[in-house]
Amino acid sequence: MAARPSERWGKWLVSGPPLAYLLVFFAAPTLIMVLASFRSPGEFGGLAPFFGDDGAPDLNLESYARFFTETVYAQVFVKSLWYALITTLFCLALAYPLAALIATSPRKYRDLLLLLVILPFWSNFLIRVYAWMIILGPNAAMARAVNGMLAYVGAGPVPLLFSSFAVLVCLVYVHLPFMVLPLYANLEKHDRALLDAAQDLGANAWQRFWRITFPLSLPGVYAGAALVFIPALGIFAIPDILGGPNDTLIGNLIKQQFLETRDWPFGSVLSIVLTIAALALAGLAAWIGRRSAGGGGPARA
Amino acid sequence: MPRRSPWLWAAALVAYAFLYVPLAIVVVYSFNDSRLNAEWVGFTFDWYRKLAANQEMLQAAANSLLIGLAASAVATVLGTMAGVAMYRYRLRLLPVLVLTPIAIPEILMGVSLLIFFVLLNVTLGLVSVALAHIAFCIGFVAIVVRSRLAGMDETLTEAARDCGATPWQTFRHVTLPLIMPGVIAGALMAFTLSIDDFVITFFTAGAGTVTLPLQIYSMIKIAVTPEVNAVSTLLMLLTLVLIVIASKLSPSLFRSD
Amino acid sequence: MKRSYLACTVARTAALAAALLLALPALAKDQLHLYNWNNYIAPETIKRFEAECKCEVVQTYYSDNEELLAKLAAGAKGYDVLVPTANAVQALIRGGQLKPLDKSQLPNLKNVDPAYMNSPFDPGNQYSAPYAMSTTILGYNDEKMKELGLPTDTWAVIFDPKYLEKVKGRVTVLDSANELFAAALMYLGYPANDTDPKHWDEAAAVIRKAKPYWAAFNASSYIKELTVGNIWLVHGYSNDIFQANLDAQAAGRKFRILQGMPKEGAVLAVDNMVIHKAAPRPDLALKFINFMLDGKNSAELTNLIGSGNPNADAMKYIKPELLKYPAIFPPKAVQAKLDQLKDVNVAQRRLRNKLWTEIKASK
Repeated sequence: MAARPSERWGKWLVSGPPLAYLLVFFAAPTLIMVLASFRSPGEFGGLAPFFGDDGAPDLNLESYARFFTETVYAQVFVKSLWYALITTLFCLALAYPLAALIATSPRKYRDLLLLLVILPFWSNFLIRVYAWMIILGPNAAMARAVNGMLAYVGAGPVPLLFSSFAVLVCLVYVHLPFMVLPLYANLEKHDRALLDAAQDLGANAWQRFWRITFPLSLPGVYAGAALVFIPALGIFAIPDILGGPNDTLIGNLIKQQFLETRDWPFGSVLSIVLTIAALALAGLAAWIGRRSAGGGGPARA
Repeated sequence: MPRRSPWLWAAALVAYAFLYVPLAIVVVYSFNDSRLNAEWVGFTFDWYRKLAANQEMLQAAANSLLIGLAASAVATVLGTMAGVAMYRYRLRLLPVLVLTPIAIPEILMGVSLLIFFVLLNVTLGLVSVALAHIAFCIGFVAIVVRSRLAGMDETLTEAARDCGATPWQTFRHVTLPLIMPGVIAGALMAFTLSIDDFVITFFTAGAGTVTLPLQIYSMIKIAVTPEVNAVSTLLMLLTLVLIVIASKLSPSLFRSD
Repeated sequence: MKRSYLACTVARTAALAAALLLALPALAKDQLHLYNWNNYIAPETIKRFEAECKCEVVQTYYSDNEELLAKLAAGAKGYDVLVPTANAVQALIRGGQLKPLDKSQLPNLKNVDPAYMNSPFDPGNQYSAPYAMSTTILGYNDEKMKELGLPTDTWAVIFDPKYLEKVKGRVTVLDSANELFAAALMYLGYPANDTDPKHWDEAAAVIRKAKPYWAAFNASSYIKELTVGNIWLVHGYSNDIFQANLDAQAAGRKFRILQGMPKEGAVLAVDNMVIHKAAPRPDLALKFINFMLDGKNSAELTNLIGSGNPNADAMKYIKPELLKYPAIFPPKAVQAKLDQLKDVNVAQRRLRNKLWTEIKASK
């Protein structure tokens, strides 16, 4: 479609306000911290003065060098990627039936069912994590059942709390609505007629799902995956509260840099690497999505 | 109405159970007669009584609700615009600006916003917190709206244009109703993110500003008492009531037909 | 249509919120902004101060010294009185963040026990007045420890595999590099504030060897688990452990949670009242500090949460049974072994963080 003047005007009208807001309240502050990654930490916290003793700006690549030479940080990164991936897959597995159920429910129940999904998340995060501590505690039903079964086959007791299992369960729990909502928004618009036609032609339930519903829902799947995977990469509170001694994720390291170590430049470096990695993966997923779906929408025509 | 397979029902019920078992514990334990609240001891209404007398906690809850509604409202509007723009036009900067706040660690964003506000001599308070929340909520709304638009039937909008509708009319009467479930979904997510945010709120709050997460997290090292369960339960109920009222008052809003 | 609905909702909610806010007491003209730990001042004390000064105390909270430091380093303003721990006071003084105390307004400063005045991080108490204190010690389930025959007066019980074997998976340590390294250094016989990199390597090795036996590095939820009986031994703060015992007794448990003071020494954390350099009401701040240095007011916190008290005048107001706890009121012999943590410079912080990260990332 040729860019008519009203088209151009429309483009700025629609994209202008969010662009302006984000430039002022996100890009500008973030650039301050990106600049900080090239500076030195203050002796007792914060950043060293911008103009060093000799009047020249204090800029260096020290913090970046540290990241690339001390490999332990990369190790923690890889672990975080794994956790985020596993979280996303389990979220998808749980969210899909939920979203599908809501999307195919009678209209008058849909809003209620959707609200019921998100209602638990209006209670405080900490309280929900503490509830999981109760559920996964060594004397609670779940641990007793699992360890009972393990004892039956002769294996030793396994701690459910303060372990990677606890961290993953909680990660999935906390991110579930962010997978359900985009999936629902997508599944809701699927045309029943397509499925009915397929049924008339002899497709069974699985074929109808795999060959019609799932491909059509891919944009929703990608949106949900992005909204789960990316935030899950940076999380620190869950390992802090119920993680085991080996469950340190990149989010914890970044938090440590800003707090206990007061090394803001290095914290910025880790954050920048994390952000770029997350955006790159999102971009990659979007590109794969576009190629496999064959495109769609005017901007890609 | 499609006949839904029993497998779907079973899987969905498992998912709902997964969501609600911890919540049930949250609500039930708000009546627990134990300060540390690690195990059920006995039944009591004490915590609700304490909460009614706890000005600080109630003020914090009210602030959280206020900021949540305001921030999610603005973020929904801006996010919808961003989502539509990203779908409709070939843009380079906006998609990055929209996605990055989701990726960036909160502590970095919190510290940078604080430095930014201090540089501009902005008084910290409820408003600074709301501005910060809007910044990270826009992305969530935009992504959901865009994915809802993906694969949308263009013939409807084209038909509207052919009938002489202006772009605004097309948007208002054709596109918007079609994307409404996406907008609602985005708004719900934005609200949820805002009332539960701690890190960014911590850094951008003023010397007299308390939100519920700030209040609760400060108790983390001493004891998160059942009073917190009580206030969480009440906040959930209040929000539910508000939304049900809103949907009854503007029923056409929630339908996409 | 959508915009007007949203505007309507926002307006309605704003009205509701405004009504809520107006129902609360009208904002007093005089306000003191106190930035403190949660539950670190008795509500009665605040009320009495508000009555005396005819002002309003607005409290906001933090749960970690480092959070306070980060926020102030980024330039936050509006706070009058802060309550940082000694090493944070050091960082704040060196960072030029504090207003010197006008001693002429603080006659009650003489009430403080001289042993806690004139510390190396603030000679002459130019900026800080001691408020309350705690020690970082061992907390344990007395039944379990007796059953397993484990000592409770030495750091070895959380670092030595021969003891740890018996409590594998039932021990937590603090998630703080400062605290854990200090404990490991003391276990090895070095001072808690030792900065020799070779000694730090040794301490890191000790920690790594003990790590497989620990359930978690935890500074926030370990107390719950100790009280319930899931965890039997912790490296934690004396206040928390004291509270845990009260809760355990209230819940009717058969075991007690006791405080164990290790013979190698422990970290003492003295929290101090300081005034921020950009305090809006330094006059009210000084009034508040003087008020809190009065023995009776100071004692109220100790009676509430079992915190240590550096105020000599407060002793006569404190409940007698609390005075018997050596972890809260250490006798002279123990006092000699307590050390306050000192703040370290950038290079040392970076080294410690590298060692800490390697510990956390190791199997």
